[in-house]
Amino acid sequence: MLKKYHMNIYNRNLFHQSATNFYTRNTKKISVQEKKGVQKLKSISVLVPFERVQVSLSEIGFLLDDTVTIVADGKFWNKMLYVRDNETISVSEEIGDAYPKDPIITICGSRMTISKVVKGIGG
Amino acid sequence: MPLYECNEHQFVENIRRLLESNERFLVNRKMMLHDDAKYGPAIMPDHEFKRYEIICTRKSVNSTVYAKVPFIDNFHHSRMYEEGENLHSASALLFPRMSVPYYRVEYSVNVWGGTYFFAFDALFNPEVVIEKRSGRRFGKEGTLVHVLRYNPPDERVLAINLPKEVMVFDVKHMVRVIDHSSNF
Repeated sequence: MLKKYHMNIYNRNLFHQSATNFYTRNTKKISVQEKKGVQKLKSISVLVPFERVQVSLSEIGFLLDDTVTIVADGKFWNKMLYVRDNETISVSEEIGDAYPKDPIITICGSRMTISKVVKGIGG
Repeated sequence: MPLYECNEHQFVENIRRLLESNERFLVNRKMMLHDDAKYGPAIMPDHEFKRYEIICTRKSVNSTVYAKVPFIDNFHHSRMYEEGENLHSASALLFPRMSVPYYRVEYSVNVWGGTYFFAFDALFNPEVVIEKRSGRRFGKEGTLVHVLRYNPPDERVLAINLPKEVMVFDVKHMVRVIDHSSNF
């Protein structure tokens, strides 16, 4: 059985307060889920040596899973896939003595991971 | 319909922008095996050529490549190459005798009547092993011989990893339709 409450000027404020609390709690729950589950996409092309990228990725727990040689834009690239749980980062670096070298880093992971990678490579 | 070619960075960033704008879109992916002698050992950078150095030799990039030892190419119906055989001539770089198979990977997205695509070729991974082979050429007893195998790259390393909400459709062929209606 639902109880009926008469609303006056005093308990109306209380109702508003409770509703706001309920709304905030729900939104907080969603944002925590978002941080954990929702994947974001980001590609970065930076003028930093590959070694620095590699160190930055291993520091945050990404491990090299597989590599392949690809040819794109008439150039040979070494494409490396790094994995951590359900997050992936691919790093494509041009093969040879090309200068300047700007590895392409493609991140499919959480917002937190993206910001850590960007920070790690000096972004 | 205009076609716009992107590099990996541009293509991924374009998809990110579409995701952030809540635009509905579909990504198409075409992955086809090719073995059309587009890639041979002479044009490979040193880093990649090192993987073939057990069986072939060259002076530098774009120099003629010769077989160092007799070997069998397992991928091309066990084709036999003799020691010293010309595998890829410096004077015919577009026509290698030893062809490296590859996957042609094309990603495309259609937005507002335009097609934005990113394409690349993924070379097969060479693996050289020594095996005992018998037959007319090797005798009944059999002989140890170098065998070149090509292993296809794993699909997970070829794919552009996209968030789960992005739908990727695999296609065999993309027909490019020319729309003349805008001329009238």
